[in-house]
Amino acid sequence: MRFPRFFTKKRGHRRTDSHAWGSFAEGFFYALLVGAGVVFGLLLVTGAVSYAPADPDSVVLQRGYEWWMWLLTLLIPLALLAFGGSGLIRVVRTWGKSQEHRAAAWRTVIPEGFADASPAVAGHPGVPSCDNLENSPGIVLRYRLPLESPENWTLVGFGLFALLWNAVVVVLAVGVGADLIGGTTDWLLIGLLVPFVAVGVGGVVLFVRAVILSTSVGPTHVEISDHPLVPGMSYDVRLGQGGAHLFRSIDLGLELEETATFRQGTDTRTQRLVVRRVPVSCWQRVQPVPGGSFEARVAVTIPADAMHSFSSENNAVQWRIVVRALPDRWPEFTRVFPVVVLPVKAVVKTSPSEAVEALE
Amino acid sequence: MNAADAPHGDDHIPANTTQPFPRIELRFGRPGRGYDPGEWVTVEYCIEGLNGERPRALERSALWYTEGKGEEDIGVHSFERFATVETIDRVVPEGTFAIQLPTSPLSYEGVIVKIRWCIRLRIFFESGRDHVSEHVFSVGRVPPSILP
Repeated sequence: MRFPRFFTKKRGHRRTDSHAWGSFAEGFFYALLVGAGVVFGLLLVTGAVSYAPADPDSVVLQRGYEWWMWLLTLLIPLALLAFGGSGLIRVVRTWGKSQEHRAAAWRTVIPEGFADASPAVAGHPGVPSCDNLENSPGIVLRYRLPLESPENWTLVGFGLFALLWNAVVVVLAVGVGADLIGGTTDWLLIGLLVPFVAVGVGGVVLFVRAVILSTSVGPTHVEISDHPLVPGMSYDVRLGQGGAHLFRSIDLGLELEETATFRQGTDTRTQRLVVRRVPVSCWQRVQPVPGGSFEARVAVTIPADAMHSFSSENNAVQWRIVVRALPDRWPEFTRVFPVVVLPVKAVVKTSPSEAVEALE
Repeated sequence: MNAADAPHGDDHIPANTTQPFPRIELRFGRPGRGYDPGEWVTVEYCIEGLNGERPRALERSALWYTEGKGEEDIGVHSFERFATVETIDRVVPEGTFAIQLPTSPLSYEGVIVKIRWCIRLRIFFESGRDHVSEHVFSVGRVPPSILP
């Protein structure tokens, strides 16, 4: 038996130390949490039991708290017990099992020596579900694709910031006002209030600007003739762009984006990278019909060698239809409509017996 | 055993070990190791250098895993564990097996996301140590991604 080494060099992305020691340390940590939960819980419960000094032989049960106070008091020990207990169960269940065994265990129960060689999941394993993309019928074509616009999240972010910051400003302003009414002047508080007000006004201006930007250019609609998409196939796509202003250009294209989620220290970060762009159509100097919208219908062909859509816990490969428009007097905006691309159809060329014979 | 296949295998040996580990040679039914989705993959393997040490269990699996900037994800398509004396004698020191590939995911060489398929053989010894051998193959014909 080897003793654990606490300082070792990490080699690549694979673990090089003993799995048994790692699992033991993990189990010990969760056992400590359970122990802490039990001790804290017992201390809290027994703290409500006392005795009468006049009669030391008898114990007096004191109900010091209301029921909700008990609940609140026992929240921390219960959380420790739940977290530690679930962790311990997980460690015990995975003890001595390989990475593959653990990954396979959740999927199916495998009899010894019997390969689960049939297609594992009906359909396409690893391909994300497209239910959310197909629940809205189009006006002209079969489906209306949902919008995934980063601008909407920017708008929400600006709005939340402006709201929360100005709430702090109001609290400070009320304090300063109360002082002034009371005849005292707290110059430190007033000095602090000035930059806070400036940032608060800036936040409101940014929010109002984002609202005007998102509403003035009008909505973008994309409809598609079929979904999910298959490499090598063409699909009708209908674009509708609302707005009363002139657009210098409107581009419609396909993009393939990779997404990787990774941990950096205690932070979890996500990186996105567009690795393929397929231009579909571009319109110059577009003037939507007053009270209506600009309408166009184009054919979109998925490249025959396209990677299919893929999604796992920390990684994704996603196709999307992207509309980039440059209004005459407003900044450029981008609107994204995710789609799902299936893998190319499987062609089984050999039977299992032929495959085994090929080895002999 | 085709010696040309041996360099493709990847035996993971713990850095702090002093005991000899076996060598696993594995041969795919197709020399190029390229398969289409839905096809059958046939594998023949031979475990050498056991030095009389008796394996406690053998695991054979076909799986995909991700590489790149993100945390590693893994998806096991086929998994077999042999842990009794009778079954181990059938699969050690050599054996053959076949699995049918699913329709997805396909092998992918992206910029920050990569998907690889492999066959893993893992031997557990009575002493408690284990040894894993990994052999990569490709599924589908998706070209590598290049930044636009």
